[in-house]
Amino acid sequence: MSVRRIEVRERVMERNDALARDVRKRLDRHGVTALNLVSSPGSGKTLLLERTLRDLGGELRMAVVTGDVQTQNDADRIARWTDDLVQAVVTGGACHLDARQVSSALEAIDLHSIDLLFVENVGNLVCPASWDLGEDAKVVLFSVTEGEDKPLKYPKMFQQARYAVLTKIDLLPHLVFDAEKAVGFAREINPRLELVRTSSTDGTGLADWYDLLRRAVLKHSGAGRQLESIASRGASARAR
Amino acid sequence: MRNGERGRRPMHEMSVALEICRIAEAQVGHDMLAHVREVGLEVGRQSGIEPDHLVFCLEALFERAPFAGARASLELTPGEELSVIYLEVDDVGQAH
Repeated sequence: MSVRRIEVRERVMERNDALARDVRKRLDRHGVTALNLVSSPGSGKTLLLERTLRDLGGELRMAVVTGDVQTQNDADRIARWTDDLVQAVVTGGACHLDARQVSSALEAIDLHSIDLLFVENVGNLVCPASWDLGEDAKVVLFSVTEGEDKPLKYPKMFQQARYAVLTKIDLLPHLVFDAEKAVGFAREINPRLELVRTSSTDGTGLADWYDLLRRAVLKHSGAGRQLESIASRGASARAR
Repeated sequence: MRNGERGRRPMHEMSVALEICRIAEAQVGHDMLAHVREVGLEVGRQSGIEPDHLVFCLEALFERAPFAGARASLELTPGEELSVIYLEVDDVGQAH
């Protein structure tokens, strides 16, 4: 019996990354902008999505894929606000969503009929940074009830994100939280990060978040047809 | 705190360890008699992987065939690389 050496040289993430490339191609083909929402548990991803669907539903066609370790509670909450599809992925213990799960979830969504896809990742600032889901950009949320140094503690996530949302800012008067310091840390980690501050409870800053989403969709789709249809739907929504 | 100041748990490493086993199993194919003795890995310090946690997870997974008792050999490098570099397999004379 002899020992044989097999050269492998395969990246551990290769299969996931290949699936993510497929997802990205499918989304691009349909002009869908996909945002991967990441944060610690309890930073307010689900409530921000509920507000977004309520306020922007007449203007942008949106679908949501939610990932939770257990329960489909988030999907049920979000489904109350939209007729479009909400797909729940229960990871059964895993700490992140992977491209395979997103790819399967997309089977049930008519991509031709949506502009914007939200992927609400499992609440976790470590693992989701390693798994590409085929999204256009990552949005990292962090709330004022967390530490100001969140960006320093989880730099990989903040480096990868194109957008950041500082949430729950209505609570600032009750907290010892230096928002400028937190924003400074985020910019130190990622100078190009586009950051908005919101309260999903009293509505502060949501207009900035919606503007950011509109720009993300326009930038990604690029197509004149899309621009036109978004503009006309926006106008009809305002007219209602 | 046992898992270090960032509160890391080996859950993330377990997903990676499972993928490493899948890659290795694909290499040895359906050869029921193949036995993997060693799995050589490159683990970047910026890859988001805690080497001790990864080894812990791999040891648990290596209790079953075709790994039974296999060893994980980690080469730590700078950067973000995370790859399976080689396998050492017992050649039991089944190769055609």
